[in-house]
Amino acid sequence: MSSNIANETTCAFSDRRPWTVGRVLKSRPFLYAVSLCCFFFGWDYLARTLGTEGSSSLARPAQVWTALQDLYVNELAEHKLLGHVWASTQRVLIGFSIAAVLAVPMGLFMALNRYVNAIVKPLFDLLKPMPPISWISISILWFGIDETSKVFIIVIGTFVPCLLNAYNGVRLVEPELYDVIRMLGGNRCDEILHVCFPASFPAIFAGLQISLSSAWTCVLAAELVSARSGLGYIIVQGMNLSDPAMVMGGMAVIALVAWGTTLIVTALEGYLCPWKRKIAGL
Amino acid sequence: MTAYREVRVRTPLILKILPVVSIAAFFCLWEFVVRSGIVPETMLAAPSTVAELFLVKLRETDPDGALLQQHAWVSIQEAFTGYFLSLAVGIPLGLAMGWFVVAEGLARPVFEIIRPIPPVAWIPLTIFWFGIGLPGKIFIIWLGGLVPCVINAYVGVKMTNPTLIQMARTYGASDWQIFRQLCVPSSLPMVFGALQIALACCWTNLVAAELLAADMGLGFMITMGRRLAMPEMVVLGMVMVGLTGAVIGIVIDRVEKKLLAGIRR
Repeated sequence: MSSNIANETTCAFSDRRPWTVGRVLKSRPFLYAVSLCCFFFGWDYLARTLGTEGSSSLARPAQVWTALQDLYVNELAEHKLLGHVWASTQRVLIGFSIAAVLAVPMGLFMALNRYVNAIVKPLFDLLKPMPPISWISISILWFGIDETSKVFIIVIGTFVPCLLNAYNGVRLVEPELYDVIRMLGGNRCDEILHVCFPASFPAIFAGLQISLSSAWTCVLAAELVSARSGLGYIIVQGMNLSDPAMVMGGMAVIALVAWGTTLIVTALEGYLCPWKRKIAGL
Repeated sequence: MTAYREVRVRTPLILKILPVVSIAAFFCLWEFVVRSGIVPETMLAAPSTVAELFLVKLRETDPDGALLQQHAWVSIQEAFTGYFLSLAVGIPLGLAMGWFVVAEGLARPVFEIIRPIPPVAWIPLTIFWFGIGLPGKIFIIWLGGLVPCVINAYVGVKMTNPTLIQMARTYGASDWQIFRQLCVPSSLPMVFGALQIALACCWTNLVAAELLAADMGLGFMITMGRRLAMPEMVVLGMVMVGLTGAVIGIVIDRVEKKLLAGIRR
């Protein structure tokens, strides 16, 4: 993007026209509010109309809220709601840390040394296209249905995006930056320390973000297949009891927790690498 | 890259040999580990066993009730139906969200609510709604593909060079003209990126949907392999899923290179 300055001027510009009805109708906060209201009322309406025949397949928002409160107070399989949240989060954190600690240095190493690349890349290309979820069956065969198999799935699922992004982050560093450091008399070590690492940091963090959402998918899939605790277990229990309120409560908690962890990584990124360029929007 | 002189670099012989050696070593080690009994055969199948089963499964329906190509065909059908539906909904939605304030204001909050929920978590609800038939699986796959489509199309429009937009305004272009003739073309590389990402998501979710509820398909084959304690079938299913996904990915990459020859570096 060669248009950074233009971007900044657009952002700094503020509209001082008077507020008219048309402007209020088109302003973001108003539209957001309308959209959220429509969403919740539409959901409630659908649930009421569909659920009249006794066996409803959609819970009303209020029912979901009650189900969540119930889970918060009462135990389900020896854990309260927070216990289940913690069980899932723990698995995600363990698997995610293992994968990040292994994959990021390996990706960097692959990008920096072509011999390592020649050895590791083909193996990696071989394993890459297999969706992590397809490993669930084999991990159950290997590790049984306890914690290890779930952590294994998460490691598999988070490894690929971490490694790929670290690798591409170094490879796509602008060659001009290397020229600058060579002009200033730097050696290979300076190149790596002062160019490769800082320049690839945003890409590495993007990889961590992707792998975090992948980790949540994996942990849920693993818990849906076999577990005795965790958010996936809540959903499965809801399914077995045909209680849509419990299922949707579980989904809401998952959305909340996944969103929270993403926020934490974003905050960490802003703290650790302030030189990252921001793209407006998502 | 005009500033650089084209330099022909000869790759040393060892760099050409190493990849072959590493793959060969991987398969030999795998075969050896299983044959010598370090890893019991109930946990992992040797590559040769998997290849054997591959040939057998092309002709016999035992023990999971369908031929290998039938499984693969069912999976491909499901994945592609969901994939194209998600493209058809997600890309226009993302493009509109990127340019029109009203579209963004109305769609964004709902999208932000749905986005962090992994598609896998929808499986139980989908089973309530659609049963375990085809529509349910397509719904899951559609959800999985939707999010990357919307995000990429949105970011693609947002990354349109503002100078160009200001210029178009100066020349008196209407909002719709700017959207159609400037924002959409300039977001194409991102949109094509979405095709790849969405495909990968769809493929992952396909396996997830089939692991839990299916009577045919590659994911179902993997599950059956586990239930029957036949590791060779699990591995065969994984290899087939990986292979099919990789082939489709390569095809899309080719199409993209052809269509966008002038746009990407």
